[in-house]
Amino acid sequence: MTAERPLPVALLLPGQGSQHPLMATGLYGYEPVFTEAMDEFFDAAGPEGGPLREDWLAERPATELDHVTRSQPLLFAVDLALGRLVLSWGVRPAALLGHSIGELASSVLAGVFSTRDAVGLVLDRVARLAKAPPGGMLAVAASTAEVEPYLSGDVVVGAVNAPRQTILAGPDGPLDKAGRALGEAGFVCRRVPSLSAFHSPLLEPACRGAAERFAAVPKAAPSVPVHSAYTAAPLTRADIDDPSFWARQPVAPVLFWPALEGLLATGDHLLVEVGPGQGLSQVARRHPAVRRGTSTVVSLLPPRPGPPEADRAAVEAAAARIAGAGSPTARAATPRAATPRGTPSSAPAV
Amino acid sequence: MSAFTTEDLFKIMRECAGEEEAVDLSSAAADQEFALLGYDSLALMEAISRVERGYGITLPEETLGDALTPAAFVAAVNTAIADRVPAAGAA
Repeated sequence: MTAERPLPVALLLPGQGSQHPLMATGLYGYEPVFTEAMDEFFDAAGPEGGPLREDWLAERPATELDHVTRSQPLLFAVDLALGRLVLSWGVRPAALLGHSIGELASSVLAGVFSTRDAVGLVLDRVARLAKAPPGGMLAVAASTAEVEPYLSGDVVVGAVNAPRQTILAGPDGPLDKAGRALGEAGFVCRRVPSLSAFHSPLLEPACRGAAERFAAVPKAAPSVPVHSAYTAAPLTRADIDDPSFWARQPVAPVLFWPALEGLLATGDHLLVEVGPGQGLSQVARRHPAVRRGTSTVVSLLPPRPGPPEADRAAVEAAAARIAGAGSPTARAATPRAATPRGTPSSAPAV
Repeated sequence: MSAFTTEDLFKIMRECAGEEEAVDLSSAAADQEFALLGYDSLALMEAISRVERGYGITLPEETLGDALTPAAFVAAVNTAIADRVPAAGAA
């Protein structure tokens, strides 16, 4: 059944915290477009490509997936490959919105950066961030105003995900102290899977020099509006041309909720989360436009890790829902078996 | 009659999400997974914490398990309330 006036599609691309072992690997070698996009990424990653691919396909990766050298490049790659898969169905998104590293993936989908350039920028970023002092992130069930008294020079608001979901970031010691104080005050907290204090000043020194890399690559105007979670507005030409705008993204706070509000203020959308898990979908379901049912949320992948079949079934169901919402989709009824390039040294677990 | 109702839970859930009163959690919501209602594990942990404090109970660890629905949550709370009564020495 087709809706009378199809909702415009907006893709949501998740970032740090959404990664998990074997994320989206059920689609590798199964969905040809996804497989090709992942192989393009591993190829562009050069010597890093092999180890990244092995750890992605491993149930117990040699370097854990929460480590910056794994979480960031692989989230970037999976978000981008899932985005390409949805585009291959004939879906023409009206907007893109990424969280953290997801914003870089959105910019590639919108043609701001070439895939190859962006992969180089991501790898340069993680090589720098790997040298940053250890730290972490803490999700707090509280508003930014409520967490304010618990912030210090080192512990800052790293992300505003929802009115009562604020992420703190900082070095482990001070972050644990803030977490204990918040817990004593009756606030519920949970560590975000991250071994780095993303979106905090702790990463500032490590990001120095990254701007030169961003300055050196060509940047095109986006083919689709990219709503930035750093400005809570669509990317402007000035943002795109400012190398420090991009270089500082691991340090600057993620204003996801304000950006989502900005996106939905332009009209109702079919929000399609293209990334592992359903973190952004859950946040979006709290938005009044989704609550009243005028905007809708579709997730490409299952809410929690599962067998490869679960990834495939979730994509199948998502494609059907997108088609049902009236978006033109030209999806093959059954994906042909695709052969990933090379032989995985460690096959995805069944 | 249950000591803890779906309406009681929905009121707490709305407080946890910081939502305006207008938000409608219909009775159909009782059998949907929390994730589909926009409540991730953090919001769920907060709801559990508020219920535990408000009703003087301790909910079993598995209350936070996967695929939990409001209906199952309400049942777990009522079981915990029923268990609490003899321990409190109430007649």
